Amino acid sequence: MYILALDTALTACSVAVLNLETDSVVAGDSVFMERGHAEALVPMVEQVLRDARLHFSDFDRIAVTVGPGSFTGLRVGISAARGFALVAGKPAVGVTTLAALATPFLAFDDSLPVLAAIDARHGHVFMQMFGTGGRTLIAPRIASTKEAARAAAMGGVRLVGSGAGLVADAWPPGEQAPVSCETLAAPDIAWIARLGAAADPATAEPKPLYLRPPDAKPQDRARIARV
Amino acid sequence: MADLLVLGIETTCDETAAAVVARAPSGAGHVISNVVRSQVEEHSPYGGVVPEIAARAHVEVLDIVIAEAMRQAGIGFSDLSGIAAAAGPGLIGGVIVGLTTAKALALAADRPLIAVNHLEAHALTARLTDGVAFPYLLLLVSGGHTQLLAVEDVGRYRRIGTTIDDAVGEAFDKVAKMLSLPYPGGPEVESQALRGDPERFAFPRPLFGRREPDFSLSGLKTAVRVEADRLAPLTDTDVADLCASFQASVVDVICDRVRAGARQFRDIAGCGPTALVVAGGVGANIAIRLALQKTAAEIGTRIAVPPPALCTDNGAMIAWAGAERLARGLTDTLTISPRARWPLDPSATGAKA
Repeated sequence: MYILALDTALTACSVAVLNLETDSVVAGDSVFMERGHAEALVPMVEQVLRDARLHFSDFDRIAVTVGPGSFTGLRVGISAARGFALVAGKPAVGVTTLAALATPFLAFDDSLPVLAAIDARHGHVFMQMFGTGGRTLIAPRIASTKEAARAAAMGGVRLVGSGAGLVADAWPPGEQAPVSCETLAAPDIAWIARLGAAADPATAEPKPLYLRPPDAKPQDRARIARV
Repeated sequence: MADLLVLGIETTCDETAAAVVARAPSGAGHVISNVVRSQVEEHSPYGGVVPEIAARAHVEVLDIVIAEAMRQAGIGFSDLSGIAAAAGPGLIGGVIVGLTTAKALALAADRPLIAVNHLEAHALTARLTDGVAFPYLLLLVSGGHTQLLAVEDVGRYRRIGTTIDDAVGEAFDKVAKMLSLPYPGGPEVESQALRGDPERFAFPRPLFGRREPDFSLSGLKTAVRVEADRLAPLTDTDVADLCASFQASVVDVICDRVRAGARQFRDIAGCGPTALVVAGGVGANIAIRLALQKTAAEIGTRIAVPPPALCTDNGAMIAWAGAERLARGLTDTLTISPRARWPLDPSATGAKA
């Protein structure tokens, strides 16, 4: 039982093969990358498969991060995952970057809530809050750092993600400060594989989670009046 | 030698398309399956293609479109000789989706990848549909491009003329928009023109008679606007007459520019073209096709226009261009970059007119 995991949603290009029986990474690679995922991802998969001495037919499924993150980046990963899945005849499953960031903390200790926050630029973060057993306390959304901090300001919160520091800086005065703040740029690819293994292919579709509408407005300018 | 079987993927603008095409060692080809999923509905409220909306739509449906093309062809990925995708030019978000998918298919199926120039695919389609031999004169007219090219061989294109401002299809779309015709505007202007009087308005014929075979559409579009503003509010007859007069002007200009292009072609190729090939979405316009038929006869050649479904963006043309390249041993690596801009003739500079 093997799972292939891909992540190009944030500032990394990561690939790993996880052996589910032993819960070990058979082969993998991860490179910090702000752009260039479209060139790097598929050759990286080729190399990781060579290192793992595995073929696509050996995988039970393919896991991929669906966002939130860079629109272009997450489409690179999803396009590749769906392409691999189509040829291999195996399901592709989507994992959110927010869950992948928070889960290692929850796996270690789920008694304290975790706020995953990804820098969405212009003073905003993509955020999701997790509680006991990984239960969602605040559903994935985009919010200003101030709103995110206000919503998350409850006892003993742990912050994780590229937006963790931004949220901590906006913490409301007088509220109990976060117990930890991990400014991680991208999730651990092994955890993406584990979450992908646990996901239900019927609901965890490999579809983008943008959390932001496309920048477009209907146009009615420049029309000449008609009778 | 067996036929080459190539899957082609097209995502450079607002059509998500995939097709399987066969190419015999003789050079003859045929389309085995051709699936196009248009995004017209998604872009309609915006009166034009919105790049981010296009990219979002491509990633949602591309694998389904490919699976359908393979199902209709009745083959598996291991039966393919190669996998081709348009790697540009076009809207980069969509190109990334198509090219990345093709790379994944190529790696998983262990088949060569062919990164196809979208314009080259338009340029070579007439060899699939009409078996045209090199060298030929190509009029490439779409919403994004207006060029005259000498097509000398696969991978060898010389640009003879281009537009200084708007593309022909763009001018059609802009006229449609100002007249409140539904999107996409080109076919709407054409059908309005059928009912209108092409002689009611004497619109300009920009660059008519010039030696350099370049185009200019912007002034014509402005002339339509000025006339429409003067008449407003417009009756249905006004709209039909404006469309008919506009289209008549475009037809005259295109035919004149093609005649100039044919003279240039002889100068650089040392012989006449084997055919006048019309490619791109505007090639689906009947009035333009009919007028160009006459022009081809005047310049002593025949006309070859792919059927409308292969003039507008489609996967079959990408698959065919991929097969033509594969037959010459031209393949690409998995590291190849998607390209927003990718001229067919990199040596060509701006319009000379």
